Amino acid sequence: MSPDLSTLPSAIVALDLTLISQGAEAKIYFSPDHPFIPSSLLGGAISTTISNPSAGYILKYRPPKRYRHDALDAQLTKHRTLSEARILYKLFLAGISVPSFIAVDPRLGLIWMENINGSSLKEWIWAREREIEEQLCDEGEYGQSQKRLEIIKPLLLSVGSEIAKLHFLDTVHGDLTTSNLLLRDGRRLGAEGATGLHQLMVPEPVIIDFGLAQQSTLPEDKAVDLYVLERAFISTHPIHSGEYVEWVLEGYVAGFGRGRKTAVFKVNEIMKKLDAVRLRGRKRSMVG
Amino acid sequence: MPSKQELPILCRPTVALGLEGSANKLGVGIIRHFPRPATKTDARPPAQILANIRHTYITPPGEGFLPRDTAKHHRSFVVELVKDALKTSGLTPDDIDCVCFTQGPGMGAPLQSVAIAARTISMMWDKPLVGVNHCIGHIEMGREITGANNPVVLYVSGGNTQVIAYSHRRYRIFGETLDIAVGNCLDRFARTLQIPNDPSPGFNIEVLAKKGKHYVELPYTVKGMDVSMSGILAYIDGVANDIFSGNPRYAEDGEIITNEDLCFSLQETIFAMLVEITERAMAHVGSQQVLIVGGVGCNERLQEMMGIMARDRGGAVYATDERFCIDNGIMIAHAGLLAYETGFRTSLKDSVCTQRFRTDEVFIAWRDD
Repeated sequence: MSPDLSTLPSAIVALDLTLISQGAEAKIYFSPDHPFIPSSLLGGAISTTISNPSAGYILKYRPPKRYRHDALDAQLTKHRTLSEARILYKLFLAGISVPSFIAVDPRLGLIWMENINGSSLKEWIWAREREIEEQLCDEGEYGQSQKRLEIIKPLLLSVGSEIAKLHFLDTVHGDLTTSNLLLRDGRRLGAEGATGLHQLMVPEPVIIDFGLAQQSTLPEDKAVDLYVLERAFISTHPIHSGEYVEWVLEGYVAGFGRGRKTAVFKVNEIMKKLDAVRLRGRKRSMVG
Repeated sequence: MPSKQELPILCRPTVALGLEGSANKLGVGIIRHFPRPATKTDARPPAQILANIRHTYITPPGEGFLPRDTAKHHRSFVVELVKDALKTSGLTPDDIDCVCFTQGPGMGAPLQSVAIAARTISMMWDKPLVGVNHCIGHIEMGREITGANNPVVLYVSGGNTQVIAYSHRRYRIFGETLDIAVGNCLDRFARTLQIPNDPSPGFNIEVLAKKGKHYVELPYTVKGMDVSMSGILAYIDGVANDIFSGNPRYAEDGEIITNEDLCFSLQETIFAMLVEITERAMAHVGSQQVLIVGGVGCNERLQEMMGIMARDRGGAVYATDERFCIDNGIMIAHAGLLAYETGFRTSLKDSVCTQRFRTDEVFIAWRDD
């Protein structure tokens, strides 16, 4: 996509930005440069929390909506940008796998964060599914697909456990899909509890886009979060969605319930709610 | 030569009578569809509107319409309106192919009175009945009038608030209100302000809002793709009652907040919410068109805001005027006739109406895109 600089606020218009995606609410830009640290000093004189400065940076920009009253627009942009930045920073401090937060300008609607240089979970699963299919065709071993699918399992277990950590902090994402989960190369995962060589290869899932995230202690909201992800699996990866969801939930329960009694109680409640949410769907009958 | 009625339905013009009475408007319409030309497979000639007559039950300021009284209004006027419609169209009952009526959603008692009228006409004239979903009526009429072929639809009225997009032969609901409808919110605030219900409370709010200058901050409740209105209404009712009881509020420039300012702020807030969820649906399905239907769709400020959003996305907004936006019989006739042409009929025993009838329950047999 070509850079769309016409609508950028003057404070950042001079930067070397590339538009990489545009949603209903925000535009996502890539920048090779850190917002305030010269690249010559990064990693050398100044140490940051950024694990890989060469991967560049992401700028999330909420442009003003011209259809809204100015006062309302200013209030919403400020409130939403600030809320997203707060949640991102809180999760980052808590050690959840999210992009490192760098800077925020709530009035202009800007959030700077680390660029995760990796594919989305969606693309990764599609690629694995294609590989499995090709291998099976070559070797003529039908009926083996279930076994081969197991190579996807370790990653989905860790996705589940990452979501569990998020929910354990009473944060719900609001828009969990396989496109909002990115994969970082498997450097960090090897450090904790790797038992075999193949586990070292598992990439680390990173949760992105906290635009609809909120704090909530209700099991209901967490169940809905999981249900949204389940629906995303069903619509994007229909053939094996059953196994995928099962593995994510297995990782979720294990990640949540590790150790504490209260956590086990909480996760049971969420799983019970999830069954209820599945039954009713999201939509009620028409009233009003 | 075979008589007109014996020709296959899709090879001759068809005519439908439509009866609508799901809320306080009683509408009777007659529409004619022409067959698709044999040479072109995609374009159907525009439908011909032969009659579109409406009578509205208007209550005094400060009062809403109650089901029992509304049903009584419909019962008193339906015969007269059907006669009027036939006279306007210059047709006789013999020219009509089917009798269409609103089967839901809506208020129970008014729906029932009109359904009884439809059943009676159907049996009297010996014409098949076609039950129509009210929301589908709005959507199909909007598409017919504006020529928008596959838009994201914002359906906003006194009883409904939905963002709808077509996919695989259903109109699917992407977002909706979690409590009261937007029109209901406006109507009830009009009652609080004691402004007249003639021609409609929403129209009078719009007139007042045009004179408003100061924006009063109100709650803004968008939850994902859904909206919630009841908290906003409770809040602004509180502000209004505060002002009435002699505690004026002041804007930043020191001026007193007026009723006009409140109407202005209410419109700005709830319409911004609606435009926001519509934009989200457009981004989700990758559509450039928005169609606004339903009574609140007449509001020019809503149309203007939606237009700005659509243009910023490189698209366009489609809206109709009060003849087709506000509940009417012609939309019921149109949607009913579309279903009729695909072979759909409602038997007498299935002609029971229902207050709860979701837009996505209807199988859209007449679209195959």
